[in-house]
Amino acid sequence: MPPLDRYLSNLAKLLPADQREDILRELSEDIHSEIDDKQSELGRPLTAAEQLELLKRRGNPLQVAAGYTDNKGTLAFGPQIIGPVLFPFYVRVLTFNLGLTFLIVGAIFAAISLAGQPIHFADLFSSVILQLFLQLTAVTLIFALVEKHLSRQPHDWSKEDFEKNLKAAMQSRIEKKIQSGPKEVSRFDSMAVLVAGSVALLWLQSLWTNQYLLFGPAASLISLAPIWRVVYLPTVFIMLVAIFRAGINIARPDWVRFRDVVSVILDAASLAIVYTLMFAHTWVVPADTAASTSQHIASVVNQWAPYSIFASAVIALAQAIHDLIRLYKNWRWHSAPQATSR
Amino acid sequence: MPHSQDTSSLLENLRMELRRGSLILAVLAGLRSEQYGYTLRKILSDLGMEIEEGTLYPLLRRLETQGLLLSEWREADKRNKRFYKLSPLGAEVLEKLLAEWKAIDSSLNQIVKG
Repeated sequence: MPPLDRYLSNLAKLLPADQREDILRELSEDIHSEIDDKQSELGRPLTAAEQLELLKRRGNPLQVAAGYTDNKGTLAFGPQIIGPVLFPFYVRVLTFNLGLTFLIVGAIFAAISLAGQPIHFADLFSSVILQLFLQLTAVTLIFALVEKHLSRQPHDWSKEDFEKNLKAAMQSRIEKKIQSGPKEVSRFDSMAVLVAGSVALLWLQSLWTNQYLLFGPAASLISLAPIWRVVYLPTVFIMLVAIFRAGINIARPDWVRFRDVVSVILDAASLAIVYTLMFAHTWVVPADTAASTSQHIASVVNQWAPYSIFASAVIALAQAIHDLIRLYKNWRWHSAPQATSR
Repeated sequence: MPHSQDTSSLLENLRMELRRGSLILAVLAGLRSEQYGYTLRKILSDLGMEIEEGTLYPLLRRLETQGLLLSEWREADKRNKRFYKLSPLGAEVLEKLLAEWKAIDSSLNQIVKG
């Protein structure tokens, strides 16, 4: 892309949408007039380097665009931290993040209140202040870094340097990938899965005889609904396969593809179990059908259980996506011609 | 005592502030005859009033929005250019601003002379 087009294209992204075309048209005309002027002064066309110099002198696109942005504010403590171009985005992101965070905090406190627990103003206040501080710090830091990068980059901007740096960065990235390849399966991770899986299996086995392990003191009032019997054996099977897989990978950590394939299969099975649970409607039943307290508690738990199952579904789906991507990447690496690596 | 670099930076800031106020006057006066952005910039620059593109074009837009300028796209030298000129309101405002400028100039001269 010619330097002028690239300059205007960078600038276009930063201009107010309703005036973008008009401003670009006018600036483009101004730059062409200046180029024409210089050319007639020198009696020859400008070289690429001279054109680049002319564009650099006009300032970085961020500064130029800032001149066209209505005064929507800036953030400055002494030196300017976030300029007028990024400031509206900063406010938008901060508002969205804070809104979402306060919604979640509100939902948590509402759930606590619905469960009959007392809510203290100090707890609510400290949670809100903490979230406000964390979000403000994180979002401001990110935007300050973006501003710094954007302000600095166009000053150094030069077509040749850019292309040279890009090629060098890509080459180094490719070499790094080739050299590292997929790592062996960590023995520590496999051992952790083996131990955790075994403990979970024992816990699951004991659960049917002693539901106190799950419900605590409420076990005298509620017990697991029949749906759990339906998913019990598949769950045990998944755990056994995971333990088996971990055992194999302790012995053969280089069997990366084995780990990847088994993980994806187990993810699919876990999703199927969560799917079955999602449509069960009843997850706990009263331990004593005649007692109204038992019925009330079972009803409350059944009202809230879908949220937990939905959260489990989201986590299981995220894990499945992660494992699928890992399988795909490692598969591609193995399929790629290894001769290029050295 | 401020460092010499601080002094020159302070002086530059003050100089910019002083010029900023006069730029509007210079642009309005420069547009008593129709010009497009590039020629206006050259005219002002030749008369010692340097103005960067990044300052001039947003200023032209602002003055047009305020009704002080009129603009139209027209072909000249085989390219489409945006020509600006003073609107009737702009001409009226310019006269008042020039009177104000002269009054300030006269007062300042007296103050400086002591």
